[in-house]
Amino acid sequence: MDFGLSGPEQAFADEVRAFLQAHPPETFPEDGTDAGYGSGAHSHAFTRALGERGWLSMGWPREHGGQARPMSYLLVLLEALAAAGAPFGPVSGCLQVSDSIIRHGSETLQREILPRVARGEVTFWQGYSEPGAGSDLLALTTRARLDGDHWVLDGRKIWSSHAGIAAYGTVLARTDPGSTRNRGLTMLMVDNRLPGMDVRPIRSLTGQVYHYEIFMDGVRVPRDWVMGKSGEGFGQLLKGLDTDRFWGRFYKAPFLRRILGLLVEYANTPVDGGPSLARDPVVRRRLAHAATEIAALRALFYRAAWLIERGQPATGPVSAAKVMADELGQRVLSMGMEILGPYGVLRAGSRWARLRGEIEHQYQTSWGHTLAGGTSEIQRTTIAVRALGLPAEPRGRV
Amino acid sequence: MDLSLSPAQQLLQNSARTLLQQRCPPERVQELALDPRGFAADLWKEIATLGWPGLLVPTELGGSSGSVGDALALVEEMGRACFPSPFIASAIVATAALTAAGGRRAQALLPALAMGERICALATLEESARLDPGALALPVAAPGRLTGRKLFVPDAHVATDVIVLGRGAAGPTALLLPMDRTGITARPLDSMTGDKLFELEFAGVETSPDDVLGAPGHGWALLAPAFRLGALARSAEMVGAAQRVLELCVEHARVRVQGGRPIGGYQAIQHACADLFRDVESARWLMWEAAWKLESGRPDADAAVASAKAYGALACLRVARRGHQIMGAIGYAEEHPLHLFHKRILAAGLDMGDATLHLEAVARAIGLA
Repeated sequence: MDFGLSGPEQAFADEVRAFLQAHPPETFPEDGTDAGYGSGAHSHAFTRALGERGWLSMGWPREHGGQARPMSYLLVLLEALAAAGAPFGPVSGCLQVSDSIIRHGSETLQREILPRVARGEVTFWQGYSEPGAGSDLLALTTRARLDGDHWVLDGRKIWSSHAGIAAYGTVLARTDPGSTRNRGLTMLMVDNRLPGMDVRPIRSLTGQVYHYEIFMDGVRVPRDWVMGKSGEGFGQLLKGLDTDRFWGRFYKAPFLRRILGLLVEYANTPVDGGPSLARDPVVRRRLAHAATEIAALRALFYRAAWLIERGQPATGPVSAAKVMADELGQRVLSMGMEILGPYGVLRAGSRWARLRGEIEHQYQTSWGHTLAGGTSEIQRTTIAVRALGLPAEPRGRV
Repeated sequence: MDLSLSPAQQLLQNSARTLLQQRCPPERVQELALDPRGFAADLWKEIATLGWPGLLVPTELGGSSGSVGDALALVEEMGRACFPSPFIASAIVATAALTAAGGRRAQALLPALAMGERICALATLEESARLDPGALALPVAAPGRLTGRKLFVPDAHVATDVIVLGRGAAGPTALLLPMDRTGITARPLDSMTGDKLFELEFAGVETSPDDVLGAPGHGWALLAPAFRLGALARSAEMVGAAQRVLELCVEHARVRVQGGRPIGGYQAIQHACADLFRDVESARWLMWEAAWKLESGRPDADAAVASAKAYGALACLRVARRGHQIMGAIGYAEEHPLHLFHKRILAAGLDMGDATLHLEAVARAIGLA
């Protein structure tokens, strides 16, 4: 058993730390809201800064301009960024889409898009969910038909993160009109600027915009802006599901550790000259208990990472880590609200806000996490059926 | 990074699994639990011939100088079989303390412990039930006479020796006493867990300077690292037991048919099983991370062990408790093994510091004033 970093990995960790010291995360302008997953706000400038250091493409094969570094480097990078509260919101989406382009993308896509991802110039949205296809994703009705050298795309996608400030989206569409369920689906790459695209913001309960709804009306997508062959969409989706879920949540543990640190700092501050909250045995025990849960979550993510890197089945640990990350996040932020009492509800910028108003925002975002990227119910069913081998529930027919 | 058991550890785990499946089935565990003085002497001899009790004993004293990881891999399997034995107290905690203490008495005892011929118990807790140097009240003087009592001493009925931690003039002091020394009486405590716990009474037991383990006043410093190892071993035992509860529940959910299909096909049961999986896996890898920190001498190792023990106790108990709901009425029956695992987790969670004690260590480690 070895949970440690190798010499070169440690050197890289030091390099990341030095970068964060030289370029304090809070000095980068932010373009999009912090959705609370641990990857901070969306910042084009920060994404470019990561690109300048070659960190966005370091895991790619050399023929695509990468450095073929093992997955552990990415773990080191994202953990350090999350611990520092850096605004790397779009990075995990970039990693997922670029991985998909490298594996399935046409030569055109690889040539056109990958170098710009590596430089941190472009970010992506993912178009999976539809108004009538949420947990039952395969009920999707967005369709694309071939017309000469173009796919003509019609339909509606929803809950796509940061779509309004991204350059491209990956859209899962039905390309075989007679198909149902998992057959006849294809993943297309769509440029936001194409005629017929209408990207509309959805204001969330936080008062900010993170999600978008995308209306596609006769959008003409070049024929080779497609992932793999038509009809391979579902297979690609399945193949990428574990890694998508992993990279969408991995930084939750260091993020929660940072939040816990803020709460410890708050609890240590004496109130009105009296004893601090840290001396309250209930508060003390709850904070300590949360610390153990966060540590356990991190260990579970590392186990999942180890399996993923070896190409071993990781569905169980990945889905378990996602469920745990999102539910633990809700518990930690709820505890934060309780500890802050009446101060907890004051927004960032309010004169009396405590801990920079961060708790209220992250508390609110946390209620979306057990829904996004597959609900906790879907994850639990996945664990039961795919990892534990329990029989699948019969699918209802309406 | 390497999150896997070494080939030797896998081999050890596999052979332990095979042996314990054959020789320590749930019926045997049940029989031992119901017998107030239950001890599997035959099985203890058998594991002694395999060298298990000597795993952590130095090679020059007849052991195999195994690593912490080797011991944990083995204990995880013992937990999975719910194997009741004084292994953790004698072969891990006492062995570690005796090895660290050195000296004539320790060096004489260790080869016998390695052979499984002698068994060493630990007498640490008193009425306060707190594993804390500040809670030690039993007055210790050597030479002198020992009078007072210790509580919650596991397996005193089969122990040949006992390490007694008390309060000396110079501070916490550890004594190594043979159990047959005049004036020592072991009275069983009737515990619902099936573990054999005892009250040890010392009635003017004669002590000499030769009985002192390590230096007078340094008993806590000597034993604390051994307790840490014990806490880790109890965590591994809980993980193994919780793993078996998960397996029992999943097996049951696959074959138990209600409403025309296996209950494991219903979301309510599927989701409960998924939670068991999450709790077992997270507790397991937190335990192994703490083991790695301890073995590589990292400064945060103590906090990591406290964290693994506290989390493991709560998570594995969740597994057992939820397991009863999945298993349904049959799991309530004494003949069903579920309660054995539940009670083993309960007992392991309390031994070597309960969750409350370890959470306080975590509270300090995260900087709470």
